[in-house]
Amino acid sequence: MNNLFVHKWTAQVKKGVLSFIVLNILQGNEYYGYELIEEVKKNTEIEIAEGTLYPLLIRLKKEGLVTSKWVEQESGIPRKYYSISEDGETTLQKMKKYWINMNSSIQKLL
Amino acid sequence: MKNIEFTSTTTERIYNDYLKRVEKCIAILSKEDKKEMLMEINSHIFEGIQRFSDNNETDNLLTVLEKLGMPEEFLKPVIANKKIAQAVSTFNPKDVLQALLLNFKNGIIYSVFALLYLLLFVFLFFIVTKLIFPSKTGLFYLDEKFKAFGFIKNTDGMNDILGFWFIPLVILSAIIFYLLITLLLRFTKKQ
Repeated sequence: MNNLFVHKWTAQVKKGVLSFIVLNILQGNEYYGYELIEEVKKNTEIEIAEGTLYPLLIRLKKEGLVTSKWVEQESGIPRKYYSISEDGETTLQKMKKYWINMNSSIQKLL
Repeated sequence: MKNIEFTSTTTERIYNDYLKRVEKCIAILSKEDKKEMLMEINSHIFEGIQRFSDNNETDNLLTVLEKLGMPEEFLKPVIANKKIAQAVSTFNPKDVLQALLLNFKNGIIYSVFALLYLLLFVFLFFIVTKLIFPSKTGLFYLDEKFKAFGFIKNTDGMNDILGFWFIPLVILSAIIFYLLITLLLRFTKKQ
């Protein structure tokens, strides 16, 4: 078995689906960064360096798929809350459709 | 930005050191983006520490930082994107080169750009060869037909039709070429 190949492949798959996972988690919910990472970990088996999520969130924000706002806390250290935008919602629906189609095609191959 | 308070100076040093690494990584970002990023990382560290029930702050901080990852690694995409944006707006060759190197891994398109820029440097190289070997560099015609452009080993019977006009012409073409590829890079970025 080519372990290196499998390792590289899983890394690519993870990288590719991460934005899809994040948008799904944000659907109907608002989370701050750390909480969002906890949700990703809770709902998927993806083990990633937690920091990688921040550049992804910046990109999603730039694309207009998510919005964010700083909320002051008693601790004096504010939280940045992320939520899905309207455009993000419609994009996510398209992504879901694609995912379901692809999944069923792959299932046939397995 | 409000810093997280620690009781031990060792923990504080680890924390400050990490934030400094982040700051160093994102030095290229705008003041506003830098502040955002630092606040975000600071908030992450703070929230992470709050999850622990024991008081071993050094261990807890180290665990949070370890899970967060090395800033030099996880911040790479942010920097690479920013570099491209900067390069296409400033037209500074240093920025362009850095941007291409940072984005090289991101796809074949950037290797094409790297090649185009290399070609540009070849152009400029011709100016040097024209000064050192004037008779072997130029725009050469043989029997009124285009034969060669550049630095040629064997120019027997060929006619250099530009003479020393070759230099201003190459400079002008290099400028136009440079503007064109940088605009093309900007266009690719917008896609």
